[in-house]
Amino acid sequence: MSTKSSTHLGMKAASRLSDVIQFLILLVSASIVLIPILMMLLGSFKTQGEALQFTLSLPTTWHPENYTYVIETGNIFRGYYNSTLITVAAVAITLITGALAGIVTGRNRDRWAKGLYYYFIFGLTATMQTVTTFVLFKQIGIYGSYFSVIMLFAAVNLPFTVMTMSSFVKGVPREIDEAAFSDGCGPVRMVFQIHMPIMRPIMVTNLIITAISVWNNFMIPLYFFNTSSRSTISMMVYNFYGLYSRNWHYVFAALTLTVLPVMILYLFLQKYIVAGMTSGAVKG
Amino acid sequence: MNPMSTLNPLNPRGVIYVRKAGLHYPGWLAAPAALIYGFFFIVPILMALVLSFTDWNINRMSEPVFNGLHNFRKLLTDEIFLHSLKNTFIFAIFTTIGKTIVGLALALMLYKPRFGNNVFRTIFYMPSVLSAVVVGLLFNSILGMDGLLNNFLAKFGVSPTDWLGNYGTAMTWIILMEIWMWSGFIMFIFISGLQAIPQDYYEFAELEGASKLHQFFHVTLPLLGPTFTVVFTLNITGGLKVFDMVYILTNGGPGYATQVLSTYTYRAFGLGLLGQASASSLILSVIVVVITFIFNSALKKREVEM
Repeated sequence: MSTKSSTHLGMKAASRLSDVIQFLILLVSASIVLIPILMMLLGSFKTQGEALQFTLSLPTTWHPENYTYVIETGNIFRGYYNSTLITVAAVAITLITGALAGIVTGRNRDRWAKGLYYYFIFGLTATMQTVTTFVLFKQIGIYGSYFSVIMLFAAVNLPFTVMTMSSFVKGVPREIDEAAFSDGCGPVRMVFQIHMPIMRPIMVTNLIITAISVWNNFMIPLYFFNTSSRSTISMMVYNFYGLYSRNWHYVFAALTLTVLPVMILYLFLQKYIVAGMTSGAVKG
Repeated sequence: MNPMSTLNPLNPRGVIYVRKAGLHYPGWLAAPAALIYGFFFIVPILMALVLSFTDWNINRMSEPVFNGLHNFRKLLTDEIFLHSLKNTFIFAIFTTIGKTIVGLALALMLYKPRFGNNVFRTIFYMPSVLSAVVVGLLFNSILGMDGLLNNFLAKFGVSPTDWLGNYGTAMTWIILMEIWMWSGFIMFIFISGLQAIPQDYYEFAELEGASKLHQFFHVTLPLLGPTFTVVFTLNITGGLKVFDMVYILTNGGPGYATQVLSTYTYRAFGLGLLGQASASSLILSVIVVVITFIFNSALKKREVEM
């Protein structure tokens, strides 16, 4: 009896010890994640000399004017504007056309629907052919336009959207369709008045995933805008770094301004973003 | 809905729809998506399939001449290309191993509700919503000659190293950066996998006297099978396609020490060698498709039914 309770106590102590060790590991890992971000935030308020030391100390004097300088010279607002325009347009096109294709491939049972589904699924594994896309855009004269980049983003994101929408629609009971059909609701009206509202959760998931991936994308603006004034915030910051690579206080301020919108969204919508990105990945 | 409405005289055709077409939606509803994706994604792939076998370049874009396997032969005898191929695989394999181990370890520590766990999860996930440009430039400042890391190491008397400029260390650091960025994302996939394992299995194992370690290897790991399939496929294909991280941190340098297939393609593209660039991008595509296929079928076979 006494030996049993002492081993029990021993186990308790051991599990408490492992809790402490776990907590320490988590703490160290968390600081590894936070230190670079903290260094960026602090550095953005320092003088050039202080920022160049790349330490985690507080600035001796705070220089919010770094931000005004960056905003004036770095085209940051132009970048925000371009990124927002491209993201909103690409997301809208992806979601609307993707939902329609998702309904058709998720509901129709004929060969065409099946073939169409695999046509989209192919795009999940195939990689974007940047070089020939570039030539295609040049040949038809849309290279460098907002239109070309927005459509390209939509095209790249559509396979995933169609797949997730299609599998969502398959999970919606067919009785709903039958009831609405027999109420005299035509297929087109059904799509917009019955299906689209039901699909709201999967719409939100796709909205988040697509918006973040378009906002953060670097390769597409690099190939298709490069130094153009239509370029996105990522490109603007990269070019800014090219010009001011010795002025880390400015670079840090520019980087902070780049991540700010996404960070704010993340902290407020964290639950949806995590759920959306994770469930999206698992279904992919 | 009102059952009487099947007889609605205003909409007699509604009934016919159900019987004859069997709930059919008109195909043209899918046309916008099919056309956008077809023109902006599929057409370039078809173009690459044709043009990779021609001698076209930036100056003669409109009159390519067929030259057979020349581009591919040239690539396969190009040392830099072969080096990029090797680097791509090294990057994909080591980031997959790293992200899986770190992600799983974090998930095991954090999947149960406990004080502070939500804060940790929020922190670990944060890097995955940042853009690669931001992460890349931040680590440029940390890993530079007078960067944070060297400042820190100097306290222990270690002399400074140019971490991204050295042949030996550049690739390692790019791999570590990728792990830093995406482990929290992988952690969440594992958390949802772990939470799906029914608690009964552990209770039963406990009754049988199985140790924690035994439970982990004989209950947790086998039942995480489907999650591993997702994580491996996601990481391997993502790793093979890597571009941003390498481009921003080293742009393939020093020399060609960190050149991967996508940066090689971009370099060839920048030089105007369109035939070679599209051939190399096509090779990457084929590799990704084949590996995804092999991976999915191999891993699916091993999965345990829950």
